[in-house]
Amino acid sequence: MIERCHRSAALLAAAALSSLACRFEPKVPELRYSLNRPAVDKNPDLAGDLGAQAQLEGALELMFGTPAGPRYLAAAEWLEGGFDPNYWGEDHVKADEAGWSALVASNRAAYRQQLAAIRAGEFDALDRPRFADDLWARWQALRADIPAGGPDAEYLTTADGQKVTWREEALFRFENYYPTLANSASFYSNQCYHCHGAEGGGNGSTSSFLEPRPRDYRKGVFKFTALKGKARPRHEDLFRVLTEGIYTTAMPSFRRFTDAQLHGLVDYVRLLAIRGETEGLLVSFYAPEEGLNFDNVRENYDLVVERWREASEFFITYAGEVPEPTSERIAHGRALFTTAGEKGGANCVSCHGPDGRGGGVSAWEPGKEGKEYAKDEWGNQIQPRDLTRGVFRFGRRPIDLFRRIYAGINGTPMPEHFGMTISENGAQRTLNESDLWDLVFFVRTLSTHSAVASHDGGHEREAK
Amino acid sequence: MAGLKHFLLRVLTTLLLLAVPVLGVWTFVKAEEWGLWFPPIVSSYGAGIDNLFYVILWMVTVTFVGTELLLVWFVFRYSKRDPTRAVYTHGNHTLELVWTAIPALLMIFVAFSQMEAWSDVKLNFPEEGPYTVEKPLMEVYASQFDWRVRYPDAQGNFQGADVIEVPYDITVPADTKVVFRLKSRDVLHSFFVPVFRLKQDAVPGMEIPVWFEATQPGDYDLICAELCGWGHYKMAGRIHVLPKDEFDTWLAAKRAALYATE
Repeated sequence: MIERCHRSAALLAAAALSSLACRFEPKVPELRYSLNRPAVDKNPDLAGDLGAQAQLEGALELMFGTPAGPRYLAAAEWLEGGFDPNYWGEDHVKADEAGWSALVASNRAAYRQQLAAIRAGEFDALDRPRFADDLWARWQALRADIPAGGPDAEYLTTADGQKVTWREEALFRFENYYPTLANSASFYSNQCYHCHGAEGGGNGSTSSFLEPRPRDYRKGVFKFTALKGKARPRHEDLFRVLTEGIYTTAMPSFRRFTDAQLHGLVDYVRLLAIRGETEGLLVSFYAPEEGLNFDNVRENYDLVVERWREASEFFITYAGEVPEPTSERIAHGRALFTTAGEKGGANCVSCHGPDGRGGGVSAWEPGKEGKEYAKDEWGNQIQPRDLTRGVFRFGRRPIDLFRRIYAGINGTPMPEHFGMTISENGAQRTLNESDLWDLVFFVRTLSTHSAVASHDGGHEREAK
Repeated sequence: MAGLKHFLLRVLTTLLLLAVPVLGVWTFVKAEEWGLWFPPIVSSYGAGIDNLFYVILWMVTVTFVGTELLLVWFVFRYSKRDPTRAVYTHGNHTLELVWTAIPALLMIFVAFSQMEAWSDVKLNFPEEGPYTVEKPLMEVYASQFDWRVRYPDAQGNFQGADVIEVPYDITVPADTKVVFRLKSRDVLHSFFVPVFRLKQDAVPGMEIPVWFEATQPGDYDLICAELCGWGHYKMAGRIHVLPKDEFDTWLAAKRAALYATE
């Protein structure tokens, strides 16, 4: 009898275990923002003051929320001026007619099953869309609210006086879906968090396997923009990185998701960057006599948001067509490229090397002499691009290379070249757009004929 | 009484065992209806690949059903309580020869019947038409963790400044024999398009020619079918098959857009 009891108990336990196993769903851990530890440790006043650190964390949470509920604290005068940071991306994309219609088309393709089911009136057959919990919640609320006259009865009247039926409204919500910040944060935790980390510090769990390292957003510096003056990236710049990926790095293209989801990710990345930048300013300027107070927090927050708002003013435009790449232009570009700065050239050779393969002296000489290698903004050793490989990380079109040379690469020693002083034929002048095109055409020949520039000494690293 | 109980137990065991072949065959009969069967065929050689599958499926089905029925019968027949002593047998030479020879012949049959399909996909590259092994339409680069396609410049060079590079979206013409080169930038990947019935490993350091002829315009999934690292699950792509003339317009527009300045 007792033996029987034991056996049935064991069976029950096995059944309970297996039912647990069936119900197991892997979940992303609940994230929380933590302070930028290395930055905090650099400020001795703050490093030892746990109270001030807690106060800082509280202030940041007040301004930016938590990973479960991220949101901007919007200043009254922003809202009066028609700028609501919580709808930053949505308003921005809506303002661009082509961008918004691409978004609607991509929603239509992604939610074709749901749209067909709504049209057919089969509301139970709707599939739950992936990574769009907010859309699903809105749909369920809408479904509970079908008017007494049925789905085709009038449901609401729009601001411009149009009458809309319930069914039209349901279709509209799927077609015009734009994710909330909270939804994008959970999407981020699924797709980006493991490399970029909860605060966007580039310190996620898979980051240490990667070379180059994932971007740390908290400095607000993004390498690839189409902007001059080291400005903060535009919405379009970040969106382009998401859709194109960055070739030869671990950053893949995310085209398999909808436009709306990617725009939403841009919004969330911008929130993380603004949060990190504000935090950085507050941490580095923290002084115990002043402490954290409303005025200095507000001042820094305004400063950072303003930088991001004005980004598109720095867009590099080029009116007219790409000039003809004549051999004179290529030869001139080559002269600029291969002439060192002290001899009045554009000094590309000092990093990219005489053959354009990235073996220049300023990048590699310090190490040979036992000194520190040149570092980028994030403290990683720089690796000048090997231009003969034909890998151009933010686009290979002439205009992309033009912008790259024009503005340099943010956070790296690659400087802004437009307006750089050179001396040619004994006269000093500054680099103009025509010179930049010459450089572009020369650089483009490097990946076609890799031997073209190796006239003196060849590859520095091979010579070692 | 005990005899009846034993008989019922025998019947029950036999029926349970019988359920294995019955349910096994039933799932295959109903698979298409339940949406568990193959995706549609959108390539010229897809039907040949499916035929190979069906040949082997029928061979396996006949063997499976036959051996299962025999097993079921033995379980029923020899579970009877029987006072007869078991007899020692030294085996049957003829029987052993037969059950070695039949599978061997079947294997030889499989080996020969797949040759045409294999050479169709992997060896018989188109020698005429717009795209050949020497002059492929495109190069596909696999890397951790995305697919990138590179179209040559107007002169047919893949290494010039005017090549077109697109991540994720691979656009090809319909009803045209398309040849492309498959490369990997880091580790083993596998180019798998289920509707084409096409699967080809990408090996670092090798340029592998691949061909297909898509028979229907549309958008189809491309996935990586070789575990390539922690991000393998996210290594997806999309094949856009456009009608021939639309494809030419698309490529011309892409080439023109290279020189846009917006």
